[in-house]
Parts: sequence; structure tokens; C-alpha cells
Amino acid sequence: MIPWDKLHGAMTHFPIALLLFSTACDFVSVMLKKLPFARELRSVSLYALAVAALASVGAVISGIALSKGDLWGRGDFGWHHRFVWPAFGLLVALAVWRLVVREAMSRFGLCLYLCLMLLASGLVAAAGYFGGELLLSGGGVP
Amino acid sequence: MMTPLEIKGATAAVIISVLTLVGTFTAGGIYRNRYATERQPGTKPLAAETLAVKGRSYFLQSCAHCHGRDADGGEDAPSLLKLQISGTHMALVIQSGIKGEMPSFTKKYNEQDVAALVAYLKTLH
Repeated sequence: MIPWDKLHGAMTHFPIALLLFSTACDFVSVMLKKLPFARELRSVSLYALAVAALASVGAVISGIALSKGDLWGRGDFGWHHRFVWPAFGLLVALAVWRLVVREAMSRFGLCLYLCLMLLASGLVAAAGYFGGELLLSGGGVP
Repeated sequence: MMTPLEIKGATAAVIISVLTLVGTFTAGGIYRNRYATERQPGTKPLAAETLAVKGRSYFLQSCAHCHGRDADGGEDAPSLLKLQISGTHMALVIQSGIKGEMPSFTKKYNEQDVAALVAYLKTLH
């Protein structure tokens, strides 16, 4: 029998960490354009985002198996899902967009992208928080 | 404004994202239905009342000494009356336990037993 709880716990950390790291790299590269490695930072953020999106598929699959297909739920479980699904959709969309556009971003495109990266990071962090609550506090058991 | 390449990228991003989410929800739904069907192979599902009675006996056996005989809480464990979590989540907590607070019952109770415990807990709403 596959230990989905352990697998999910292990896999979720990759998209969370990589997305936050990618967002940080993007912001540093934009704010400190004159840095000699600003261009490399943008490349790092691109690959981190792509790997985060791939890893999120594994995290989602293991999560579905763990919850026996319950995609909503109540309490912390429900809140975890309320943040997970928009975060997952946004993460995939951002990764696809970034892989298509790469460095050819307009000023407006870059601003929009950074705003959406911040939003995705917030959603992923909130989903991670409620996931942690499920594990550590029994998920809303009063 | 956005360049044609960015618009093309945005279109691809929206399509792939929507397809991924639709695929995920479809797969989740299929898994959930299959799990519900396979949970009791060859046997008719127990009536909710029978299941809850069975669950009550498991509860008294393994949970009552911490959560209280009437599930209204003990010194070290919370009340389980009017839980605001789903049945799946209850099952998950029973099977996985809570780190440092509650043991896992996955070895003691199989999935049917856990379903019985969940059915009992749901009667406490």
C-alpha cells in the first residue's frame, strides 16, 4: 500500500519552496537590474517556476489519493482546498506563460506577471499553512 | 499593453490551466466514486444506524478514555461533539493520528471500522 500521507507531505514542499524562491528571484532581478547576475536570476526563476509547476502535479495527485477523492471538505480541510485549487491553476498558467514568453516581456506583461506571482505565492503559502494545520492540530478538531 | 507573443502565451496558459483543473477534478470524482464502490466489495453497505452502533462500540473501546464516554472531551482530549469537518477528514485524522497528541489507529481499524467510527461521530452533530 502506498503511504500517500508521507508522499503528499514530502511532495508538497517542492512547489511551495520553488514558487516562493522563483518569486523572490524575479523581484530581486527587477529591483536590482544593475546586478551583474540579474539575467541569470531571471533564468533561475524560470526553471524554478517550471519545476514548481511539475512538482505541483505530483503534490495534487498524492493529495487526491490521500483524501480519497474528496476535493472540498470542511474546516481546515476545506480551507486547504479553497487555496490549493486557485494556486494550482495559477501556478500552471504562470509557468506556461513564462515558458512561452521567456525574456520577451513587455513592461505591462512583467508587472502583471509579478503581481500574479505574488498572488500565487500567497495562495500556495495559505494552502501550505492549512495543510500544516491539518497535520499538526488535527485540522479543526475543536 | 501586451505584445502578440504575450497574448499567445496567455491564451495557452489559460487553456492548459483550465484543462489541468478540469482533468484533476474529473480524476478526483472518478477516484471518489470508485473508492466508494470498492470499499465494501461483495457486501451490501451497512445501514447508517447499524454502522453508527458499531462505531459507538469502537469508540468506547479506543477513544472514550481520552475523549470521554459521551465524546464531550476529557482532560487531555477535546470534545468531539458537533465536529465541523468532513467524514473524509475525520477518517484521515483517525488513521493518521495527530503528531504528539493522538495515536494513529490505522493498524487497529480497517477502512470499514473507520467508516463506522465516522458514522458514529456524525451522529454527534
